[in-house]
Amino acid sequence: MTTNWLLFRIYFMASGFTFSGGMAMLPVIERELCDRRHLITKAALYEYTTLSQSLPGVIAVTNACFVGRKINGRAGMLAAGIGAVLPAFTLMLAATAAYQQIPRAGVWLAVMQAIRAASAAFLFTAAYRLAKYNLTDPVAIGLAAFCLLATVLGLLTTPLLIVAAGAIGLIAYRPRKEANR
Amino acid sequence: MIWAMIWAYLKIGFLGFGGGYAMLSLIYAESTKLGLTPAQFADLNALDGLIPGPVAINSATYIGQLAGGFWVALAVTLTVCIPSLVFVPLYMHNEQLIQENWALNALLRGIKPASAGLIVAVAVQLALTTIGGIDSVFALATAHVDWVSLAVLGVVLVLDLKWQVNPVVLIALAGVIGAVGYWVLG
Repeated sequence: MTTNWLLFRIYFMASGFTFSGGMAMLPVIERELCDRRHLITKAALYEYTTLSQSLPGVIAVTNACFVGRKINGRAGMLAAGIGAVLPAFTLMLAATAAYQQIPRAGVWLAVMQAIRAASAAFLFTAAYRLAKYNLTDPVAIGLAAFCLLATVLGLLTTPLLIVAAGAIGLIAYRPRKEANR
Repeated sequence: MIWAMIWAYLKIGFLGFGGGYAMLSLIYAESTKLGLTPAQFADLNALDGLIPGPVAINSATYIGQLAGGFWVALAVTLTVCIPSLVFVPLYMHNEQLIQENWALNALLRGIKPASAGLIVAVAVQLALTTIGGIDSVFALATAHVDWVSLAVLGVVLVLDLKWQVNPVVLIALAGVIGAVGYWVLG
């Protein structure tokens, strides 16, 4: 079995059984690539995991690309990357096709309406969790409040707010001169 | 249309720091610009709870499939992977340079709280649409409260926050409440 096929298969399995993305698939990757096959060290895997969380893009895909590239160069990167994307793509394609077939009438409308309300609730809890870990200082609280208001009132667009928040982060959290010496 | 979607998903990919829900506000903003209704976005978020995989991939596939079927879905899904294919080789070639760079960290410390605020804004917009039947806070005076939806939102919020009940179970529960509400209140 070639390394590329192995990388594809492991990332395919790991992401096919992982809900809500992110790095919930890490334990499977660690067991298969570090413990069983010794293709990458745990230290390297964790470093790439942290890194993929701070680079733009889809975290699970970035992680797959890093690990694949490290183990087997450009081909390994593609193999692991495709493995990470394929389950979500196929399952979502099937789910969307099924969703398009749901009759838009009678009790189905009521069911969908209720599920949309649940969907809004999920966003509130997601926001609560993001806020709990990230609103730790006045700058962060100010940024969150401003982005919320500016969006709800339709004042500024989301991409603009993200770029501005990044710029404010750069200014507010730049290294202090004392710390550099 | 397909080029507008690819452009939208390039923005989502390259501005999407922090993954998952941090990207969702961007996905919402871009997808409504592409003509998706808030209700269709709420459905996407529910489907994402049922299907494994990152929300960025799931949303790309969903939006592509709704707009033009398989090939559009494939093209948009591949687009959202481009940042990974750009940054991974870039990092591998300049490892030292990036590792000692404080800027990436500072950038993220600004963007993460912003995404928390932005995702509340999306939640508020979805709540206004589903519960009040309106599309902005300026229309609050004309809102009609849908009590079943309000009850579902409250129940799901509590079950999710206090007991982290599995989203698949919560979506099924919401559907049942919706059906019962339809037959009882009709």
